[in-house]
Amino acid sequence: MTQFKVYKIGPEIKFGNIDLSFTNSSLFMIISAAIICLFLYFSTKERKIIPGKLQLISEMLFNFIAKMISDTAGSKAKPYFPFIFSLFVFVLICNMVGMLPYSFTVTSHIIVTLIMALFIFFAVTVIGFLKHGFKYLSIFVPSGVPVVLLPLITVIEIISYLSRPVSLSVRLFANMMAGHTMLKVFGGFVISLGLLGGWLPLSFSVALTGLEILVAFLQAYVFAILTCIYLNDALNLHH
Amino acid sequence: MGEKKDFQTRLEIEKEKLNHKEDKNKANRGLFFGNAFRLGTELVAAVAVGTIIGFILDNWFDTKPLFILIFFFVGFAAGILNVVRTAKEMQK
Repeated sequence: MTQFKVYKIGPEIKFGNIDLSFTNSSLFMIISAAIICLFLYFSTKERKIIPGKLQLISEMLFNFIAKMISDTAGSKAKPYFPFIFSLFVFVLICNMVGMLPYSFTVTSHIIVTLIMALFIFFAVTVIGFLKHGFKYLSIFVPSGVPVVLLPLITVIEIISYLSRPVSLSVRLFANMMAGHTMLKVFGGFVISLGLLGGWLPLSFSVALTGLEILVAFLQAYVFAILTCIYLNDALNLHH
Repeated sequence: MGEKKDFQTRLEIEKEKLNHKEDKNKANRGLFFGNAFRLGTELVAAVAVGTIIGFILDNWFDTKPLFILIFFFVGFAAGILNVVRTAKEMQK
């Protein structure tokens, strides 16, 4: 489908075998980042004690993430607030920009979500080893398991640990792509059924657009909260 | 007469409280919806990772399809473990 196509904008840039050309995907990432930066800059520019509407929105956003981190990962995770905040807002704005007609959804490509998830996965693993040393490996060995079953359980735990980046990235990518495809399919029904029968799929696609906006928010939220949960596992062993 | 008025205001306050509770429940329902999305992918991802590990091991030792079969089921077990953990987290 054309809405998922990645094409080059401007000249081709190549370093050896690596293609670093500027694409529409990079363009929409820059647009999302620019929206976030401009919004946060202008909404917090005046810094009133009694906040205006825009300032209120960014303060609520800040509080929302701060509460989410302290609820799921505890006070030890405070230093990672900037990372989780930018992650949540970036995914959220990318999803929302993708809801505009004729735009491109960055998060509907698995390579984008997988790189983000792999970064989180490696970062959490490195943090775990830095905080606990080799004791961090004890998350693969649950306590109170009979010795006979221990090898099997350890293998299961390792697979469960390795499946984190996969489930994190596939969830976001699949939800975004499935939603956009569904909208497209219902849009196609409107055209093929014409003036007589097209009203039913049209009303469906209006409802689906609302659902998609909900999903866009929820997926960003789930992505951020899972990062917090993984961070919690790395910071507080056995809790 | 005074007593009746007193009762009326207290009733109003309690009603207000109930309304607030409903609002909170609605907000929480949205978050549960998000959690529900997690369960499915959690299972599938573990099975996929297990199968991929089995495939790689098979290529190393040339034992197709022994490890793929074993690790498919181990991956399934890991998926179930993931789902149970997610469900436990959701109940907190």
